[in-house]
Amino acid sequence: MRFRDAAHYVRDDPDRGVFRVHRDLFSDEALFELELQHIFEGGWVYVCAEFQVARPNDFYCTKVGRRSVIVSRDEGGKLHCFYNTCRHRGATICHVERGNKKYHVCDYHGWTYDSSGRNFDIKDRKEGAYPDSFDDCDHDLIPVAKFEGYAGLLFVSLKADVASLEDYLGDARTFIDLAMKQGPDGMEFVPGRTNYTFNGNWKLQIDNGMDAYHLTSTHRSFVNTINRREAGQSSNQQANSQNIPSRFALESGMFNFENGHAVIWSDQPDLEKLPLFGAIDEVRARVGKIRAKWMLRGCNLTIFPNLQIADSTSLILRTILPLAVDRTEMTMYSMAPVGEALELRTRRIRQHEDFFNITGMATPDDTVIYEDCQNGLSVGADDWLQCFERGMAALKPGADAHARELGLSPVASMSGRYAVQNEVCYHSAYREWVRRLSGIAA
Amino acid sequence: MTLLAAASDLLAREGLYLDERRWDDWLALYCEDCTFWAPSWLDEEVQSNDPERQISLFYFSSRAGLEDRVWRIRSGQAPSLVPIPRTTHLIANPVLDDCATGDAMVVRSAWTCHIYTLRNRTQHVFFGRYEHHLVRLGGDWRIQHKKITLMNDFVPAMLDVFCV
Repeated sequence: MRFRDAAHYVRDDPDRGVFRVHRDLFSDEALFELELQHIFEGGWVYVCAEFQVARPNDFYCTKVGRRSVIVSRDEGGKLHCFYNTCRHRGATICHVERGNKKYHVCDYHGWTYDSSGRNFDIKDRKEGAYPDSFDDCDHDLIPVAKFEGYAGLLFVSLKADVASLEDYLGDARTFIDLAMKQGPDGMEFVPGRTNYTFNGNWKLQIDNGMDAYHLTSTHRSFVNTINRREAGQSSNQQANSQNIPSRFALESGMFNFENGHAVIWSDQPDLEKLPLFGAIDEVRARVGKIRAKWMLRGCNLTIFPNLQIADSTSLILRTILPLAVDRTEMTMYSMAPVGEALELRTRRIRQHEDFFNITGMATPDDTVIYEDCQNGLSVGADDWLQCFERGMAALKPGADAHARELGLSPVASMSGRYAVQNEVCYHSAYREWVRRLSGIAA
Repeated sequence: MTLLAAASDLLAREGLYLDERRWDDWLALYCEDCTFWAPSWLDEEVQSNDPERQISLFYFSSRAGLEDRVWRIRSGQAPSLVPIPRTTHLIANPVLDDCATGDAMVVRSAWTCHIYTLRNRTQHVFFGRYEHHLVRLGGDWRIQHKKITLMNDFVPAMLDVFCV
């Protein structure tokens, strides 16, 4: 199908109780190409955490849309981000995910760059009979257009004409803070990430990362494993994971923020199972009672378009990399306070492995379901999905009492019992999708 | 039977029981206080080496962890396991550590696991190395500790205990 106006694909009319998204968003290759250009390569995208490049000459390689980039800390401690390609013949400079290097030497003709991206050596330059004009050329690695950080998370925009990162993140910053300020000495990734793919569209992950509604069906085997442990039918007590259905009577809600970001939140049934609860006195004294309460809540945050921080059965940070309209690569880390007591750390790790690992008892059921969705969405029906209206009757424009407690001004708020299992949290991403793809001549 | 033959027999039986979904027979190969461990990779070269401080792909500090997974496989409640992917394990090149005795031995081997996912008709091969710590209990060899090195840890959609 030929690209029509972006607004054609999303029916956004909350006053009439309607929010629908066309199936083509998940299966149309031409739309996917536009998403790469105008979303992933046309605005802010998360790249890595500052603590992954903590020391001078540390580097980390990743992708922004299709573009390979290197984040590097120079000798003086300043952070840089440049495209991972040599100025000479375009070869890839860096072939490993991370490391520590004062100099990056291209394997092909040996051009050398320092950790600030400056060209340090052009091999056999003197003998090369270069014309004078060659000296006027910039030979340094090509920096990305924009590179900024917030609360220790680093973001890139390959397009220069964008809002500042702080403006882009807006009030969603509060929920980044609630994750990134849990430790008195900062946060870190527990060593050992998992890396996996699924044959499905990237937005299936965007939605699922905040999907409370699927837990008791997709993750029935996890729910019942926890029930079996609590009933003494399983003697496996190493993870002590949260009992999800116990949340259903508890308070919960969601906020739609500007620019595609959203969060769902809920009280947790078993506070004493949370590793953070073991350090809660320190947390309360440092961040105050209200923020400490929010840090103990389950919060699943999406920072559009590629970052999710979920603090539910464990605290994770995952990134979403679209490879094709029907293929996505994921990277997932367990995140924890620096200096966490060993007993709490080990429990955190077991909880992460229990649920979130790609080898765990929940994530593989999500990825396999995304593949089912992709197969279903690829049948080509001219239809609008019906997964955006659950919770709509409880939706309020602007801030509710919970938002005011945190000083937030969201686009919309919704609160109620967790049993609502709202799907209005997805509105933000599709509104942003329309905004970013509007006015494009296709 | 020589020690090497006894070890090889146990390794082959473990693969057989997994491929034939004889889950109770598989669990019975393990001591109750066994550890079952698949480290994660920290970077291109280094594997995790401390399950208390690092993420593992699998870490169970007793057979109860494996029993939870077997319950889940049998439950029919996990979309990734309905239908259960078909597997074939090939386990080869067993080498005994020098310290092997009639009561305890360590055997290292190579493995591949071919997986056919019926849900979307795709196939995949995981491969790596095993390290089994075996003990003799009441005349039978049992697994006290199993370490699984997974060489290709870039995982397409799912990976369960019977896929390694």
